[in-house]
Amino acid sequence: MECGVRCPRRRRVRPFCTQTAMYRGPGFDFSNSLRNDFLQHKGVALPKATSTGTTIVGCIFKDGIILGADTRATEGEIVADKNCEKIHYIAESIRCCGAGTAADTEFVTAAISSNIELHALSTGRKPRVVAAMTMLKQYLFQYQGHVGAALVLGGVDSTGAHLFTVHPHGSTDKLPYVTMGSGSLAAMAVFENGWKPNMEVGRQPLSPALPSWYSNDNVRPAVQREEALKLVCDAVAAGIFNDLGSGSNIDACVITATHTEMLRNFVKPNERVAKELKYGFRHGTTAIKSEHIRSLVVSEEITPIRGEAMDVS
Amino acid sequence: MSSFNPYTQNGGTILAIAGADFSVVAGDTRQSEGYNIQTRYAPKVFRLTDRAVLAVNGFAADGNMFVKKVKQRLEWYRHAHAKDMPLRSIARLIQTMLYSRRFFPYYVYNILGGIEEDGSGAVYSFDPVGSYERETCRAAGPAQSLLQPFLDNQIYFKNQQPAPGMSHPTHLPLQAVLALVIDSFTSATERHIEVGDGLEMYIILGKGRGLQGLEGVKGVQELTISEDGERIFVVRRELKKD
Amino acid sequence: MFLTRSEYDRGVNTFSPEGRLFQVEYAIEAIKLGSTTVGVRTNEGVVLAVEKRVQSPLLESSSIEKIMEIDTHLGCAMSGLTADARMMIDHARVTAQNHAFTYDERIKVESVTQAVCDLALRFGESVHDEEALMSRPFGVALLIAGIDELGPQLYHTDPSGTFMRYEAKAIGSGSEAAQSELQDKWYRRMSLLEAQKLTLRVLKQVMEEKLDHHNVQLAQVTPEKGFEILDEVRLKEIIDAM
Repeated sequence: MECGVRCPRRRRVRPFCTQTAMYRGPGFDFSNSLRNDFLQHKGVALPKATSTGTTIVGCIFKDGIILGADTRATEGEIVADKNCEKIHYIAESIRCCGAGTAADTEFVTAAISSNIELHALSTGRKPRVVAAMTMLKQYLFQYQGHVGAALVLGGVDSTGAHLFTVHPHGSTDKLPYVTMGSGSLAAMAVFENGWKPNMEVGRQPLSPALPSWYSNDNVRPAVQREEALKLVCDAVAAGIFNDLGSGSNIDACVITATHTEMLRNFVKPNERVAKELKYGFRHGTTAIKSEHIRSLVVSEEITPIRGEAMDVS
Repeated sequence: MSSFNPYTQNGGTILAIAGADFSVVAGDTRQSEGYNIQTRYAPKVFRLTDRAVLAVNGFAADGNMFVKKVKQRLEWYRHAHAKDMPLRSIARLIQTMLYSRRFFPYYVYNILGGIEEDGSGAVYSFDPVGSYERETCRAAGPAQSLLQPFLDNQIYFKNQQPAPGMSHPTHLPLQAVLALVIDSFTSATERHIEVGDGLEMYIILGKGRGLQGLEGVKGVQELTISEDGERIFVVRRELKKD
Repeated sequence: MFLTRSEYDRGVNTFSPEGRLFQVEYAIEAIKLGSTTVGVRTNEGVVLAVEKRVQSPLLESSSIEKIMEIDTHLGCAMSGLTADARMMIDHARVTAQNHAFTYDERIKVESVTQAVCDLALRFGESVHDEEALMSRPFGVALLIAGIDELGPQLYHTDPSGTFMRYEAKAIGSGSEAAQSELQDKWYRRMSLLEAQKLTLRVLKQVMEEKLDHHNVQLAQVTPEKGFEILDEVRLKEIIDAM
């Protein structure tokens, strides 16, 4: 049923109106929220948001920051993506791991990344980690926790190496080592056991106690076998194997004053074994119920065109 | 105010396939609650007699207790009637045991597999209050929706037209069935967080059938003692632990 | 032997100094007053025959029920205080149905016989855990005939709660003479028809009145048709053929 709100000056009906008159000013429009509550009351379930279950970690070492993350994205109990990227780009020397609702982490990190770039151009300076942190927390606070992004933000700027956590409601913590996500307890157990200040990113040989899947060909020579990187990988691995919301591979990112190295799929401890059988289907397996062949060429007439060729120089 | 909930879900998945003269009953070994793993090895498939194997899935405490009670009834029957309970009788017994708790059910999905009195492979599947049916293949548990369509396609050949002039076989050989079971579980492990850690397959062979299909299978362990009569073998495989 | 009455024969639960339960033994004696009943087992099935003992020509002979069905594959004939048998037969019927309901199979003949005999000792005063069914022992003996996976079988039960399997057995007033006749004439490869004739001949010998189709009843259990009481027409045929 239509209801027109007549504007006294112009004799036009506004296109639509909701049951309750909502002030559509700045900020979030909660009318969908009303609709969802109504539907839920009627028994229609909310679609499950893709969440990143997740284990994300970050730690400060001698020369900068190392961030780590698993690569599993879940929709309830189902694995939606076995190899998603959770370490997002904010700036050249600033990265952000995201846990929580995947869409929210994607969007918020991309938005703040763009705004940081604009800010850097405006200020003429390299972006600072605190700037990204402040932008993120102000945005998230405005949305009162409805934007489900739990972030580990780390980077190196002109003031040094900094590592923060940002929670969905907008609170932040500044710490030397942090973990977030459903696997954060498993990962933090590893950190609490092994973290110490000024860890090296040296070239120490592999300790014999490392698990067998550690030594694989994907390990790049530049950041091989360091104390801090190993700790980060161990922490993420703890989440992968002990938390059902985390799994698949380990991504890492080493950020120093001079250089940022993204180590995508740094360790792959969960490769799928070869299947027992081959599952090909013979031509003709799918039953054809009826066949109707139509020529799409109704009539064809070829007329050669006299004159100059088209100039395509 | 939240009150005490007597039930919880412990994850995992089970599967059973019946052949012409054998049956395979399999289950993963992971037991979880929410996002936590309670243990990487908690068996869900149990040998009842030389020709019957029961897999239980759902609420582990009810599942384990139910298996104990079924085993007790089987022993009772043996002493009273001087014979092993035939498979269809075990199926019927499970129904009456489940229904007797109609108003505080055992929160378990049971799958019974084994050899019938006529020597054919059989699979019986149950709901928590005792509704049951004999089938050729059935998957149960959290990954049921991933496995059952795959089995329907590969075992019943659903949505597959046979080559002209040929027809699909009614039963598959043991080797093919074992391969399908392993692939089912590795695939379910990929996409379901509650499935993984290990796989345990029980293979029940009919009397006098011989061991064809089991050659070349690694790590086969026999549970039965004599070579005449039905035989039961267990095969274990690793599954991904993430 | 029982002419000497001692002070130990009154109490239902009292043992005598020689270790005898007199009431139970007297109950067994009571059966010797009952009408003669004969049962013969062959490889083709089991035959039961009873002397109806029609006391008066005004008595409607078809109302005398001394052979009753327990299940489609089980029947029994009684001798002694036949009213007592109603309780036992009802219990046997319920046991057989419970078994079929719970196990989806026919109960074994020995199992149902055991169930009936379990009632025999439930007399006297009630104890805390167990209810006494009756105040005195049963005064009836049964011949239970049936077919199961072990073939046709015939069992005899008495008030002491003992049961024994027989190839051929006679109980009741003419049992002594009948039993020796059976011992003489029975042989292993007897056919069903020959068994029918034998039972009727034996009854004829021990009955006071002349045997006709009104004062005897014949029943049989066979694999093909299960338990059936022969109707007048068929009974007459067999009697005439004798």
